[in-house]
Amino acid sequence: MDPILRRSSFFYLSTLVIYVGVLGKYLGSDPWPAFEVIPLFMPVYLASAVLSSERGESYGFLRTLPVMDRAVVRRKFGLVLGAATAYWLFMMLVALARWDSDVSGPATLVFVTLVCGYGLVLGACCQIAIWRFGFSATIGVAAAYLGISIVVAIAHTVGLRRSAGWPVLGQLGGVQWLAGAPWLSVAALAGLSVLVFWGLTKLGIRVKASSEACV
Amino acid sequence: MDAILEARNVEKQYEDFSLSGVSLEVRRGSITGLFGPNGAGKTTLIKILAHQVPARAGAVRVFGLSYGDGEREIKNRIGYVAQDPPFYVDKTVQWTARFVAPYFAHWDGAHFYGLLEEFRVNPLKKVRHLSGGQKKLLSLALALSHGAELLILDEPTAGLDVVYRRALLDRLRTFVADGERSVIVASHVTDGLDEIAEDVCILQDGRIVMHEDKDGLMSKWKWIHFRDGALAPAVVGRLSNLRRQPFGDSGLTEDFPALREALARALSAGDAKVENAKLEDIMVSLIKGA
Repeated sequence: MDPILRRSSFFYLSTLVIYVGVLGKYLGSDPWPAFEVIPLFMPVYLASAVLSSERGESYGFLRTLPVMDRAVVRRKFGLVLGAATAYWLFMMLVALARWDSDVSGPATLVFVTLVCGYGLVLGACCQIAIWRFGFSATIGVAAAYLGISIVVAIAHTVGLRRSAGWPVLGQLGGVQWLAGAPWLSVAALAGLSVLVFWGLTKLGIRVKASSEACV
Repeated sequence: MDAILEARNVEKQYEDFSLSGVSLEVRRGSITGLFGPNGAGKTTLIKILAHQVPARAGAVRVFGLSYGDGEREIKNRIGYVAQDPPFYVDKTVQWTARFVAPYFAHWDGAHFYGLLEEFRVNPLKKVRHLSGGQKKLLSLALALSHGAELLILDEPTAGLDVVYRRALLDRLRTFVADGERSVIVASHVTDGLDEIAEDVCILQDGRIVMHEDKDGLMSKWKWIHFRDGALAPAVVGRLSNLRRQPFGDSGLTEDFPALREALARALSAGDAKVENAKLEDIMVSLIKGA
């Protein structure tokens, strides 16, 4: 296995395992709000994996090796894409497994895809920010953003349980409209996410090659 | 001249420093010393030559290839030792070797561990726990273990004790002995490196103020020691770094062949003598005059 992938994949795998083990069980067993809340943590987990894999990364050392910047970017982005796909597949499979139990439905598939698409783009943006501004300059902003995301997700959970009129993301008009043709919408959203991600990969190559923040 | 590395009009701009129009060639089979005071731009230039940072303008060709076309091939054939070598500091030396091995086409693990033994670097130690000198030696061992044809070294002797400094200089001499491989070495001190450098390049304020082969340089730069009144004032006026000492005066010339005739009488009468200048003297004189 490629050494860069080998080193970084540990962080992606460990966060995925924790997500599946700690939060995944709620998806598999909890009643209705599970699919409204648990997917919201996916972008946080994925971005955390990016940040933790970048901690201690030595791009200066990599530059001394016969590895081109674009190869480094592709490997790193490959991990982000692979991890996002794994989160998405996991949640989609659980949603399909619980299809008949009122917990999931067409809107769930759309909602999970939307959130995972956002997570994918967020992970890529974190990675590019690190290349552009350096790890130490990015970590504070990223940690604050992730902290706020967690607080919002928890507040949303509490709101759903305690306030009758609390907005349900999975039942918003746009999500419901897309849920009219769920598989088509899922394919379109996934395709759109991958397209944006592909554009970010191109941007990442340019940023990585021109930035001196990480060397 | 068979150049293994060519840089043409290289420019780099930082907030408080710029490298302007630097051109340089490293001959095959030679050691080129890149000297200059702190902040002259040596590290920036070395980083550009090793493609660690991009240049704003100019072209660098190594083995006839540009980094844009052949980065992988070039990096497979160069060994780079940074001023402060970057590593995965939380990993061991052994882990570092395992990490780099798949990337090099001609990685020689046995040679690497042999060098570690010679340099007394414990492969089981974490890089974080190595001294600055040991990190340099580790970086050098990595650079020497994949069949590099060009070594690009930035302050390689910094942090090394006298024994390892000698060992390093010997290694560099051996490295170029076959006439096919080359070294470019940057340093702010000439300390030993002036002995092995065949070409000398002096950088000051982001510009090359001198680039010559050392023999030619040494044949021109000489110290003239003379008794008071032994030389005509016009000759004395052509000397720099004049020092008046109780046993006689001294001055530095940068064009000894042109003065030879004017000095002939004083030299034959024993009123003057000529001594080779040291590279450090030349560097100081050029920097002061720049």
